[in-house]
Amino acid sequence: MNIRLMHASVRIMLLAVGVSGRVAFSQDQCFTCHEALGDVPAAQYKTSVHFLRGVSCAGCHGGDATKEDMEEAMNKAGGFIGVPKGDEISKACARCHADAAIMIKQYNSPLPRDQMELLGSSVHGQLSTTGKESIAQCTSCHGVHGILPNNNPRSPVHPLNIPTACASCHSNAAYMHAYDPAMPIDQLAKYRTSVHGKRNAHGDPKTAQCADCHGTHGILSAKAVKSQVYPTNIPGMCARCHADPKYMKGYGIPSDQFKKYSTSVHGKALLEKNDLGAPACNGCHGNHGATPPGVESISKVCGTCHALNAELFSTSPHKKAFDKRKLPECETCHGNHETVAATDALLGVGPEAVCTWCHGKYPDSRAYHVAQAMRGLIDTLERSEKDAQARVSEAEQKGMEIGEAKFKLREIRQARLESRTMVHSFDENKFREVVVKGLGVASVVSAAAGKEIDEYYFRRLGLAISTVIITVVAVSLYLTIRRMERKHVFPLSKN
Amino acid sequence: MKTWWQRLYGWVNDRVHLEDLVEFLGKKYVPVHSHSVWYYFGGVSLFLFIIQVVTGILLLLYYKGSDTLAFESIQFIMAKVEFGWLIRSIHSWSANLFVLAAVIHMFSVYFTKAYRKPREMTWLTGMLMLGLALAFGFSGYLLPWNELAFFATKVGTDIAGSVPLIGESLMVFLRGGEDVGGATLSRMFGFHVAILPGVFAVLLGIHLLLVQRQGMSEPLGMENSSEAEQKTMPFFPNFLLRDLLLWLLVLNVLAVLAVLFPWELGHKADPFSPAPAGIKPEWYFLFMFQTLKYIPAQVLFVDGEVLGILMFGIAGVLWTLVPFWDRKSSRGEQNRLVNYVGIAVILFVIVLTIVGWLA
Amino acid sequence: MSMDEHVPTPPQATKRNFLKYVLGGGLVAWVVSVLYPIFAYLKPPEEGEVEVSSIKAGKVGEFVKDSGTIIRFGNKPLILVRLSSGELRAFSATCTHLDCTVQYRKDMGVIWCACHNGRYDLTGRNIAGPPPRPLEEYKVIIQDEEISISKKV
Repeated sequence: MNIRLMHASVRIMLLAVGVSGRVAFSQDQCFTCHEALGDVPAAQYKTSVHFLRGVSCAGCHGGDATKEDMEEAMNKAGGFIGVPKGDEISKACARCHADAAIMIKQYNSPLPRDQMELLGSSVHGQLSTTGKESIAQCTSCHGVHGILPNNNPRSPVHPLNIPTACASCHSNAAYMHAYDPAMPIDQLAKYRTSVHGKRNAHGDPKTAQCADCHGTHGILSAKAVKSQVYPTNIPGMCARCHADPKYMKGYGIPSDQFKKYSTSVHGKALLEKNDLGAPACNGCHGNHGATPPGVESISKVCGTCHALNAELFSTSPHKKAFDKRKLPECETCHGNHETVAATDALLGVGPEAVCTWCHGKYPDSRAYHVAQAMRGLIDTLERSEKDAQARVSEAEQKGMEIGEAKFKLREIRQARLESRTMVHSFDENKFREVVVKGLGVASVVSAAAGKEIDEYYFRRLGLAISTVIITVVAVSLYLTIRRMERKHVFPLSKN
Repeated sequence: MKTWWQRLYGWVNDRVHLEDLVEFLGKKYVPVHSHSVWYYFGGVSLFLFIIQVVTGILLLLYYKGSDTLAFESIQFIMAKVEFGWLIRSIHSWSANLFVLAAVIHMFSVYFTKAYRKPREMTWLTGMLMLGLALAFGFSGYLLPWNELAFFATKVGTDIAGSVPLIGESLMVFLRGGEDVGGATLSRMFGFHVAILPGVFAVLLGIHLLLVQRQGMSEPLGMENSSEAEQKTMPFFPNFLLRDLLLWLLVLNVLAVLAVLFPWELGHKADPFSPAPAGIKPEWYFLFMFQTLKYIPAQVLFVDGEVLGILMFGIAGVLWTLVPFWDRKSSRGEQNRLVNYVGIAVILFVIVLTIVGWLA
Repeated sequence: MSMDEHVPTPPQATKRNFLKYVLGGGLVAWVVSVLYPIFAYLKPPEEGEVEVSSIKAGKVGEFVKDSGTIIRFGNKPLILVRLSSGELRAFSATCTHLDCTVQYRKDMGVIWCACHNGRYDLTGRNIAGPPPRPLEEYKVIIQDEEISISKKV
């Protein structure tokens, strides 16, 4: 059938059938014709939000939607662009979606208008392997003809569908390999083991999915400082949901973790001092497989950085005791989100000590005595360090040369660090060994500083003695001169 | 029974005939008058110079003159060598006291016009020694190779470099190169322990010989007073004992300074770091340094710094030549002009030194 | 001399002698107080100089293969590592994370920081854990079995 005949028959059919839908017969001729032809895109388009809002095919494809005649309607001179390829696709979307006049005035839409800009500077906006266009276009995620609003469960970018949408590329090994061979492709699988992933699979649109953490249009690499998933930004990002009590209502977990974390050692280190070595939420909870560590595995998680403490703990009597009572290992004494800097005050049987929480009830027990003894030893070491520091300071202030002793102060500090670590063995003998080593160094330093201070006073004493001697000599010399001159009737005249 | 020292004297005398010398020395008299006290300053300067030589030699046993080792060797002396701190601090303090004593000695000679005939050569050798004393100070200052000294040397040799005609060569000569560095240290060390002491010793020998030969100068007008009024005292033993007494007290002052105000070492010089703020030379150069700051950068067609240097150079030469332009004193007449010039110079130096110190 | 050998000395003479003794004694004391420091100064001290631009760390034989030792360089700690090959390398021993003192771990073949499990390979590069920067390397020179360490310019 030639095209002209087809055209004519369609018009007759339409006249007969009448036109339904919001598009007036005179307005979207493209759709009218293509639908009658049984065009798949046209059938899809009928369901889309664009169709419902009265956007004609020409809205994206260009051309003249009012013309029935194909050559007139699909005329390049008239603006028809055919099927856009590559970056032309996103440019076509942006022609409306980035234009305030169209989006607000014409359609009164609350949608943002910066998607194109964000996409351009995002990681997806980089050139694809063809070298001719960006990696992703708008249609890569949103679909082409059947675009639905995000809150529509059938939209590929509805919260419940996003993980699978992203995974269509990101779990495809061959595809990802072309861009970054080292990039993992198991995020979806891990995600599905996480609390977020499980809830998402069960139909909870409120729980976190890929876009919540990574962003939508402006996705940046985790190594980029501005990225939502850059370590210093992660706590704030998680807090967007987890610190909002209203949002978290019904989930049965507290919403004060971010507040606690911000005051903790880790929080201060990461957020205030920019120490990227400190863990953000994902450091302990994981990224895609985000799950709070189980009670028995807490020391392993903390142990990725605090290796020695964890190792000592695991071989100590506390490990078995804690696990039996389902006590969360490190967290029991140190807290989880609110981990404050550990001080000597946590040790022993005093008011701030944590040992008394369990052992306090049995003041005759061996454990009680060990705790007491360890605290006593560590206090002695602290006092020795302070004393050594004070003496070195005094010697320095007096202007004495004290470099070597000052250097040894480091060793005392080191011994204190080591003893604080050795606490976790909960073995009094091992602990004592470390402390005694430190005490030895402290006494050496104090002695050296003391020697210099003594030298300082010795010099002054030496000065006093020499002054006395000189005074004696001077006075007796003066008297001798006087006596001599009295005898010789001095002063003499010239002859 | 002859004492042992009498027998020793006899043995030497048999061979060298010291009797003439002893008689000559026995006849030396020192005038006693209201200005006698100034006579002591020459001896104090000599004493301090001797202290410098002794402590300097002791320091030489441990000091290392290369830019990598100098600073540390002084740290070593201060910290590890027994009484090293004392020797070093005495050396540094005595250097300053030596310059001060020499300046006072010079001014006292100036105001009593002791430079007049026949003592012109004594004055000339003295002025040259004063110049050498400043050179000793400048060269010795660099030897610890600390931050302050490094930059002071840089500034000082820069100024030397702006002398017209010979400035550039002079600067390179002093620095041992284009910049202040290890080569400069080697040079300054050589100047300080070998060249300057050698020249100074010769001048000192001439100076002392002249003083011995000519005796002490009396203030103008003393020749006119009666014989009875012209009081004197023998050099041996009276004046000498007084001299030694004063030297003893000066030694005590040095000890007090060394113990209570030990000389600092500061930081090791780092040629690559910028100059610390407020670099100043030692106090005896301050008045010149401060004056240079006040001269505008350009005066007519002459560079300000060059003008300043020339001014000081000419002033120094004129001052040194005072025995030759002060005719009146040679004739025995009072010369008020000389006094006024002297007072003006002292005021200028003191005021600018204070200003320079406070700046 | 005559019969009067026991003439009592007049008071002035006694004073004279006293003064003479005081002066003499004082002079002796003074001479001692000047000479003693000078002689003490002349005696060379036992310890060698501690130079901050370079130090002598000892003889090669004193350091076991595949081990690390902390030594003092001025006021900074350095770690001197002797590799299994026998080669000697020196690095700053101050961890670039939070300034703890690192140590050599023979079992791991790395320089390790006990504080937060930071690791550096044997070229000083930070390879694991929180440390943000490598350890500064120092120059090791061996002359006649003597090890000399100095800053790398």
